[in-house]
Amino acid sequence: MNATGIPLKEPSVSAAAGATEQLERAYIDASTRVPVLMFYTSAMAWLILGTLLAGFVSFKLHEPDLLSNISFLTWGRVRPAHMNVMVYGWASMAGIGTAIWLMARLCRTVLRYPLLLLAGACFWNLGVLLGVCGILLGDSTGYQWLEFPGYAAIILFVAYTLVVSWAVLMFRYRRGEQIYITQWYLFGAFLWFPWLYAAGQLMLFVVPVQGVLQSAVGWWYANNLLFLWFGAIALGTAYYMIPKVIGRPVYSYHLATIGFWTYALFSSWTGMQRLVDGPFPAWMITASIAAMILAMIPVATVGLNHHMTMQGYFPLMRYSPTLRFTVFGAMSYTVFSVVGLFISLRSVAGYVNFTQTSIAYSHLGLYAFFTMVIFGAMYYIVPRLVGREWRYASLIKLHFWASAYGIGLMTLMLLAGGFLQGADMENPTLPFSETVETVLPYLRGRSLAGILLTAAHFIFAYHFGLMLLGLGRTSTVPTFLNPVEAEETSGGH
Amino acid sequence: MKGLAPLFLGIFGTFAFSWVGLTVLPNWQIGHLNPQSDEEGTDIYPQPQSGMFERGARVYAANGCIYCHSQQVRPAYAAADIERKWGDRRSAPRDYIFERPVFLGKMRMGQDLANIGARAPAEQASPAPTGAAPPGGSPSGGTSPAASPAPQGGAPPAASPAAKQSPNPSPATQGASPGLAGSPATASSPAAAANATPGGVTAPSSGSQTAGPPWPIQTIGEPPMYSAAWHHVHLYSPRSINFDSNMPAYRFLYKKRRISDARSADALQLTGSDAPPEGWEVVPTYDAKCLVAYMMALNQSRPLSEVRSAGGAPPAAASPAVSPGPAAAGSPAPAK
Repeated sequence: MNATGIPLKEPSVSAAAGATEQLERAYIDASTRVPVLMFYTSAMAWLILGTLLAGFVSFKLHEPDLLSNISFLTWGRVRPAHMNVMVYGWASMAGIGTAIWLMARLCRTVLRYPLLLLAGACFWNLGVLLGVCGILLGDSTGYQWLEFPGYAAIILFVAYTLVVSWAVLMFRYRRGEQIYITQWYLFGAFLWFPWLYAAGQLMLFVVPVQGVLQSAVGWWYANNLLFLWFGAIALGTAYYMIPKVIGRPVYSYHLATIGFWTYALFSSWTGMQRLVDGPFPAWMITASIAAMILAMIPVATVGLNHHMTMQGYFPLMRYSPTLRFTVFGAMSYTVFSVVGLFISLRSVAGYVNFTQTSIAYSHLGLYAFFTMVIFGAMYYIVPRLVGREWRYASLIKLHFWASAYGIGLMTLMLLAGGFLQGADMENPTLPFSETVETVLPYLRGRSLAGILLTAAHFIFAYHFGLMLLGLGRTSTVPTFLNPVEAEETSGGH
Repeated sequence: MKGLAPLFLGIFGTFAFSWVGLTVLPNWQIGHLNPQSDEEGTDIYPQPQSGMFERGARVYAANGCIYCHSQQVRPAYAAADIERKWGDRRSAPRDYIFERPVFLGKMRMGQDLANIGARAPAEQASPAPTGAAPPGGSPSGGTSPAASPAPQGGAPPAASPAAKQSPNPSPATQGASPGLAGSPATASSPAAAANATPGGVTAPSSGSQTAGPPWPIQTIGEPPMYSAAWHHVHLYSPRSINFDSNMPAYRFLYKKRRISDARSADALQLTGSDAPPEGWEVVPTYDAKCLVAYMMALNQSRPLSEVRSAGGAPPAAASPAVSPGPAAAGSPAPAK
């Protein structure tokens, strides 16, 4: 027992559950090793590339003459390259890696057909690589979030088909009747993504819809990607990690059911609020704003559920890296949703529509929420794959604080800058250039935040590299963030 | 939860509900609009574009213009877009029926471009989008049929810069049309400047430094002039035109080359540190020309029956585009 009187890992009950279960888990973990590490390693490489591109984008936005004479380094190409590397390279691959591991664990069966996944990872990498090169060489489609040219999109889709067919097969081999909450979200994510991607590609490129509807389809796709793909994976992961680390069941299964179905129903109707005041029938935008409001129901139920599960166990965040990252991400889900609702209300949206605020919103969702949850999951999963524990608690702490302060500062800068930019834009007596002048100091602040995030990612990549090379600690005790206090308590592990 | 079937059905059902609601229903409602035309079916807006316009749109997409520039005017009750003179009416779905991809945009680190073509000097908007213009060929001059509606008093935003042009002509302009300054026919002089007519060849690049650029300096409260020449110089060196512009330069869309016998007709009129050394010139690539042609064709100033234009303005604003006769009949691509 530690100073707070709370058990640090799995409670004694599960230890008593027997060595067979432990052995079975180790066996399952071992079977996921190669595919999951392949997805994770690729994701890390994309994360580093995307981070470098992001820094470039951020600095170029307030220093427009920086390397602007080279066609493939012009801001308008590097920006979508960064976005697509992060969305399809880092976030999707890390999300799939995490989902694979969770599926194997929760289906309580060893991973079958690993070749499907390995081929999927190869094709996915190829697709992202071709897509990013295509964008940099001037082959972008011009649709936000779907900039990858057709040849890359096809490869991505093939890669995804391999992964999803694996997921469906795994479900058939699952043991036990009960399907855990995490599996609902993962099963949803695995199915929603290909439907979304196919619908987006079909309606924009194969049988294109007319005029402004392309924008509607684009934002419908983008918002659903954010919620039904990334959001679903992150929520599912949080539903697994939080109870697992603190060794306590989820507070309410019933609440989780409500949360899941309202999430699927309402968050999928959002997206059009981004087109507020645009050339669209008003009902489309109003429907999405209403959906944003209704999406507070899953936010409240999921938030309440996590909170009640954590109740009394919050001090554990001092020790467990996984818990710290995951809880940060889960809390960011609430912040992300509340900010999203606030900026989509018509009175506010009129001001912030064409400002940096929407960038703040995307980063809240993709980084503060999704990426932080995935970092937490990786801190839990990677040691179980390589058989070593994380080497330096100090590096984990540095990673956490640089990420947390980085994304916090970035969000504040972009939100504040965006609001002022929008207010200036609504004042027609100010020349337009003033609105840009107004936001520039905030963009410089954002670059500062970007430096913090860059540091965080390089630290994590280095640490991850050590683990891959087998240079982690050999220990039966996981790496705690504050080892001195933890050591005196971890006798039982 | 037990059983996979209800889970699958729920997942599929929620997705299908959203797909039908947010993409299929709108497609049924506004997905099959036709252009607007008058009783005889002649005065058609919008019209499909091709050639340079289409390629220009691809250049626009490739270089990510959309990440800083929107192309939509919001209604007066919701935003100050119309007061900012970005358009004289809100954008409507019908304005975009031939656009693919559609560049509505989500960010304004730069100006809205929905009506950038309408803000050009009156006769500039028309020749640019002619799809048939060959890459190297001489662009159709200021004497194209579309120039005729200009004297009728074009759209207020367009007419005022044209008038303002006259007191501040460049040497090149003066050389091209010496007797015309100040007359109603000034409309032709920006075109001359824009195309850098052969008359401009005689003016050495050093001379233009003293005389200043051939367009008025952007001033508060007055729409700047968006001629093709202005666009090229602006793309090549944004801060030479707007001191506080935050736009990156797109010099990779331009070629610097040695002047062989005479200065090219489309060479950029650059001043100061941007000017090429003696004996050299900067010319736009075909992509740059297409991009400018595309921007010059962005024009939503035509009234639409379903949208109310800004009070009182519509008839006047409409005149250059709506006026029948030469513009509609003669020009291959009437002012869009």
